[in-house]
Amino acid sequence: MMNYVRAVVLAVSLLAFAAVSLAGPITFNSALPISEGVGILRSQVKLVRKSGDATAQNRVLIVTAVPVVLAYGINPRLTVFGVLPYVDKRMDITMGATRIRRETQGPGDALFFGRYTVYQADRPGDTFRIAPFAGIKAPTGSHNTQDAFGLLPRPLQPGSGSWDPFAGVAITRQTLGWEFDTAASYRLNTETSGFVFGDEVRLDASFQYRVFPQTLESGVPAFIYAVLESNLIWNGKNQAGGVTDANSGGLTWNLVPGLQYVTSRFVLETAMQIPTVQNLNGSALETDWAWSAGFRWNF
Amino acid sequence: MHISRYLLVIGLLLTAPVTIVSAQDVEVQAVIIQVDGLSCPFCAYGLEKNLKKVSGVGNVDINMKTGKATVELEPGSKVGDNELRQAVEKAGFTAREIRHR
Repeated sequence: MMNYVRAVVLAVSLLAFAAVSLAGPITFNSALPISEGVGILRSQVKLVRKSGDATAQNRVLIVTAVPVVLAYGINPRLTVFGVLPYVDKRMDITMGATRIRRETQGPGDALFFGRYTVYQADRPGDTFRIAPFAGIKAPTGSHNTQDAFGLLPRPLQPGSGSWDPFAGVAITRQTLGWEFDTAASYRLNTETSGFVFGDEVRLDASFQYRVFPQTLESGVPAFIYAVLESNLIWNGKNQAGGVTDANSGGLTWNLVPGLQYVTSRFVLETAMQIPTVQNLNGSALETDWAWSAGFRWNF
Repeated sequence: MHISRYLLVIGLLLTAPVTIVSAQDVEVQAVIIQVDGLSCPFCAYGLEKNLKKVSGVGNVDINMKTGKATVELEPGSKVGDNELRQAVEKAGFTAREIRHR
């Protein structure tokens, strides 16, 4: 079972935090405001592939997630968010002489959180914001799904089964030509049915540069941003039945190039997460790649 | 005699719309707001939506390059600067100079 744990834990962490904000980072939250009375609907398709199993099991894991995000500006400083992902997890494993597939689909764990702007400095075509955020991951996904081989290991379940609080802070500087965002966050994972995922610490950064139009005209033109993001993610070791899994958790650093097409009503975006450093505990599977594409819509 | 009356009525009908449009042009008032912190197209929607919620505001035209929002007021309406300033702040931005045109 620990093989599954090692293989999936990083994928879970990659998909657990869905970002939403105004145009801004693709893989995490910014401090940009959502206007009072304005809502944003966002959805993405995320694909993660992990392989390179050195054991005879030759495990290959593919995770597909479609998070749907709703954000609403309560007032100019306070925004509330709700995220509900749909997940599909498939792991191919060699058992003896047979290649089997263990898979699950369904709603994953929902996220509910709020963000409050504590500092704002505006100048013409330029803003700087600091906004802490806090929330909770709710166990809306099943954590006791079974397949033909029995109960699926916890990390292959659509949900974790636990209520996990998280908090962090986002900092954004945005100008008409470029934007820089950074965010730090911590998620405290709690125990359910004798299993607890390791806690997670993230340090993210994003730089977006307007490549089109090169010269601004009047009105509200569409922008195309070239995006480069960095995700530094540390996961603690899991525990099952009070026993620490030495082959779980670790440190991952992703570089994420991407593109955004931004208008006043919608954003189209895509990004490829390239694992640059994977210093994982034990013999966990490493991520080959992670890709996402999505949209945001103002209403 | 009748023909000349008909011609007069037709003439009045033809020129009336022009006269009305011209009168509206004269009556349209606009307010130009310098908005600080507006730096991406996706943000502009919230500004437009909040300004249009103000009673008496008609069309809103935003210029990203200059950071100016031109607010057209409906004929005869009275919109105070404070209402416009509050709408900008509700959108998450800072209103600086407000100039009536």
